[in-house]
Amino acid sequence: MLAGTLRFVRGLSLAAALLAFFAGTGGASAQAIVFPPLTGRVVDEANLLDSAAKANLDAKLAALEAKTTDQLVVVTLRSLQGRTIEEYGYQLGRYWGIGQKDKSNGALLIVAPNEHKVRIEVGYGLEGTMTDAISSVIIQTVILPRFRANDYPGGIANGVDEIIKVLSGEGGGPQPEPPPAPKPRHNTFFGLLLLAAPFIFSGPGLILLVILLHFLFVLLSRLAVWMHLASPPREGAHSWGWGGSGSGSSWSSGSSWSSSDSGGFSGGGGSFGGGGSSGSW
Amino acid sequence: MLAFCKRFGVPFAAFVLALNLAGCGINTIPTEEERAKAAWSEVLNQYQRRSDLIPNLVETVKGYAAQEREIFIQVAEARAKVGEIKIDPSILTDPEAFKRFQELQAQLAGALSRLLAVSERYPDLKSSQNFLALQSQLEGTENRIAVARRDYIEAVRVYNTELKTFPGIIWANVLYRNNKPMETFTIDEPTTKPPVVIFDKK
Repeated sequence: MLAGTLRFVRGLSLAAALLAFFAGTGGASAQAIVFPPLTGRVVDEANLLDSAAKANLDAKLAALEAKTTDQLVVVTLRSLQGRTIEEYGYQLGRYWGIGQKDKSNGALLIVAPNEHKVRIEVGYGLEGTMTDAISSVIIQTVILPRFRANDYPGGIANGVDEIIKVLSGEGGGPQPEPPPAPKPRHNTFFGLLLLAAPFIFSGPGLILLVILLHFLFVLLSRLAVWMHLASPPREGAHSWGWGGSGSGSSWSSGSSWSSSDSGGFSGGGGSFGGGGSSGSW
Repeated sequence: MLAFCKRFGVPFAAFVLALNLAGCGINTIPTEEERAKAAWSEVLNQYQRRSDLIPNLVETVKGYAAQEREIFIQVAEARAKVGEIKIDPSILTDPEAFKRFQELQAQLAGALSRLLAVSERYPDLKSSQNFLALQSQLEGTENRIAVARRDYIEAVRVYNTELKTFPGIIWANVLYRNNKPMETFTIDEPTTKPPVVIFDKK
């Protein structure tokens, strides 16, 4: 009887894991835009900055976050992939999850030199401080003149300085309420199953099997992400519904999805609603 | 306890499994509906924001181009019509009402676009700081409207799909008979961004 149950549980865990795999991929939204990975506070895909400039910017941006928890990221893009910079900007902000999750206090300075577009993308939480009018003034007065003279590093540095001034000088304006951020559909099925499992099958061998199921599921989810079939849950976001491990068993809940190639910096899970301003030259 | 598990382990597990699978569907429909409604609130929020910007914009333009009376009347009328629409949740499942809402908003957007085009003829207005600030705010609001609309369209798509596909369709027919698919945006909004005009210097 026990052997039969064991076989059943094995089959069940495999079936469950496969179901999660396909459910996960089914629920993920197909992103036609391929975003660059968030490798740090300065993502220089278009190679406009030398390493000294990058280090300088990085230091300023890190200091800003340390002081105000606002996350400002500079990104230069080789291509907007046929989108307008407004369309691209907020989706990039959401994809990277810039800004703290509870405050959505993120901003991006996006430069697309090949399309001659620049944008300051502002997260929900900063819209009161970093208004569209201010963004527009910064772009028109300190960024575009430098870009027109072909001085990208200068324009970017100026823009960053001005943005930091605004974000640190004015502490808090009216903070609009961020609407619920779109979450990946998580499957409560597995949370519940695994919660119930130790009670159904109390026997150390079977508990180990359930833990194995957990890891198998995690591995398959990561494989799905790696193969770009699913979008990774944002940093800090409640991913895949693993929260329910409260009662008695001490296995870890929640695989932590840090953007592992970021060298220490990752988005805090904030969201964007299209605030900010663009310019072109 | 172990004896219980040995006897009833398999059927019990199957029962828990069935419950969980069933549980999956029962909550999805209301959850998706609420998400779509929240997305709709955000759309209304941004439309309201645009509406609120208009008086200031009109006053600024009037300061430089008072004689353009007709366009001011058009904007005021379009804004009034939009303000008159009764927005209650039933608009989401009423195709006629939703379509009317879209049309009125698009008319307002058209009137605004003409208002901003007026500024092209008045260089003083065009370079006034006040006007530039308002113009950037308007552009920002239009962008936010576009984002909110996209979020809403996606949320409605998910909800409508859930109502129509397995296993949602089972729960829809059993428990949620009154849930109708929600309307989605079909009319594009004209934006006020002036088209880029390249002048040949002859």
